[in-house]
Amino acid sequence: MPQSSSGTIPLRKFGRTDARISALGFGGHHLGEAPDEKTAVEIVHQAVDGGITFFDNCWEYRRGKTEVWMGIGLKGRRDKVFLMSKTCPHGRDASLALQMLEESLRRLQTDHLDLWQVHGMAFDNDAALFIRPNGAAEALEKAKKDGKVRFVGFTGHHNPKVHLAMLNTGFPFDSVQMPLNAFDANFRSFEQQVLPELIKRGIAPLGMKPLNGHGDAIKNGAITAEEALRYAMSLPVATTITGMDSLEVLHQNLQIAQDFTPMSEAEMSALRDRCKTDAADGRFELYKLSLKFDNPEARLAHGFPLDTQQFEVKDMFGVEMNTGHPWPEKKFQ
Amino acid sequence: MSAKVEWNRRSFIKGAALAGAVPLIAGGSMAQQPSKQSQEVPSGQVPKKPLGRTGVQVAAMGLGGYHLGSAETDQAANEIVAKALDHGVDFFDNAWEYHNGLSEERLGKALRGKRQQAFLMTKVCTHGREKKIAMRMLEESLRRLQTDHLDLWQIHEVVYDNDPDLIFAPNGAAEALLAAKQQGKVRFVGFTGHKDPEIHLKMLSHDFPFDTVQMPLNCCDATFRSFETHVLPEANRRGIAALGMKSLGGSGELVRHGAVTPEQGLRYAMSLPVTTTISGVDTMQVLDQNLKIAVNFQPLAAAEMQALRDQCRVVAADGRLELFKMTTKYDGKVGREQHHFPTTQELPL
Repeated sequence: MPQSSSGTIPLRKFGRTDARISALGFGGHHLGEAPDEKTAVEIVHQAVDGGITFFDNCWEYRRGKTEVWMGIGLKGRRDKVFLMSKTCPHGRDASLALQMLEESLRRLQTDHLDLWQVHGMAFDNDAALFIRPNGAAEALEKAKKDGKVRFVGFTGHHNPKVHLAMLNTGFPFDSVQMPLNAFDANFRSFEQQVLPELIKRGIAPLGMKPLNGHGDAIKNGAITAEEALRYAMSLPVATTITGMDSLEVLHQNLQIAQDFTPMSEAEMSALRDRCKTDAADGRFELYKLSLKFDNPEARLAHGFPLDTQQFEVKDMFGVEMNTGHPWPEKKFQ
Repeated sequence: MSAKVEWNRRSFIKGAALAGAVPLIAGGSMAQQPSKQSQEVPSGQVPKKPLGRTGVQVAAMGLGGYHLGSAETDQAANEIVAKALDHGVDFFDNAWEYHNGLSEERLGKALRGKRQQAFLMTKVCTHGREKKIAMRMLEESLRRLQTDHLDLWQIHEVVYDNDPDLIFAPNGAAEALLAAKQQGKVRFVGFTGHKDPEIHLKMLSHDFPFDTVQMPLNCCDATFRSFETHVLPEANRRGIAALGMKSLGGSGELVRHGAVTPEQGLRYAMSLPVTTTISGVDTMQVLDQNLKIAVNFQPLAAAEMQALRDQCRVVAADGRLELFKMTTKYDGKVGREQHHFPTTQELPL
């Protein structure tokens, strides 16, 4: 077994709660890109052994595949982790959100989530739809009261203003998830606009997209993976969630997290300055810019038109994957 | 040739928007294209409004310069300018980089002998480069426009997050504005941009003596990354003349997708606390349509404006009708080159 797959990662406080979570979080979406179930399960096992306790997932990732694989991987290890999944009503009713929770619990083979978040706040009317009577806010309250989830929050990658509008609804969120990286620092910045507000309110900030979502800036040579990940982890966040679709990526991330020492303020500032010119048109953060990077499920729920040439839309309607049933057609006890 | 390339950049938007597989607004009225027959334009003049604190008055509707380069012939452009002037449209917009100079050349010819009647504006396109390039562009603009001075000279397309820093750097474009004003080559100065209210606010925060600021203002903007909400009050507070543009979405997107009629869109924009609303015109039909609305213009009531904001709120929320805020499709080629950004064609937007 590789050395780095066993070790510890610093634990941090989860906002104003007593819970503590690992400074590096395991992103659920990329687990679905592992070649098969066996590999996915091995990745989850080694992540737990390596000291990761925070596990991210989402009802709509890969039509349920990532929740199913994570559920199998966490069998017998559920108590060692802080398990999060997300609900995807995208403006629709509380009842739908709660139905999604039941499905997530079944796929993840557990009776409760540590954290349940509303997925993908992206559009300028999302906050209003969330807080309306019978909106998703009521689902979060009910799930918490029923003991099915310990904490609640929301996520989004599009626009700091949408996050601020969500916070201004006054709903008692425990956590908020957002993209945080050295490019974000100077472009429509969550770091500048949202992070300080969360700290002020005692809400746990969860960073994501430390490598800009698809690692474009790394492939382009603008920044190294280690610089990028260390920058994100050095911010005042509870955890930094990053996707891992292979053991190789997992080991690289574990190495950085197990040896983690925060960057100095001067190092962070230098990195921000280096990325500033490339950041200014947002091309390394297309999730903030482009209609094409919008989640098609969310566009559909909002009644916005879809671009049928978009990969995600083809994926959604794709003949080979879409049998008309959730993935996979398999029974769970 | 290169003018054509420039045009393709914008005509692409039409194609992309129309190719949408799902109807945009159920039951929405179809785009109201101006009819082929010349419409009856009422006699009378477009009303005048004060240009900020300058003491000058200009027409409440301005003629956009970009589309002048898209008109079919020089003759068509001439006729558009002449008829606009006849109805009191004296505010003429342009930019050094529109159609690689064709827009300025056409306007220069069309205003021959009529320069005195016009309030002439063009824009400088340094996109972060130094003062001396700005001054060279000014000389080129003056030559193409066949005049010895501009009434208004604005910094074009302030749309990237590092633009304010570049413009206000020592030896940057801001210094060029001051020098040109001092030399009497331009009467007033300002800046323009279509991307993000925060970039406009950053520009204003430098307390530079801008006389004008140009921005997109329309019924969708009112509830989406809103210049109306964030920038317009600040410009008004500072006594800087606000110039509205993209009242119909830049290429008529709001109309083509049934969000508003041309009359609703233009009257909404003109009813805001702005000096003028700049609208692009490439045919006589569009000019007549605009003049019908602008001659004898009466502002909308507050309740009517709110009704239009509400009508557009849902379609505004993902920004697809204001692609200039969302994507690089309205970003000029020169600006992207100067920032060392890949071209629009190279990006998956």
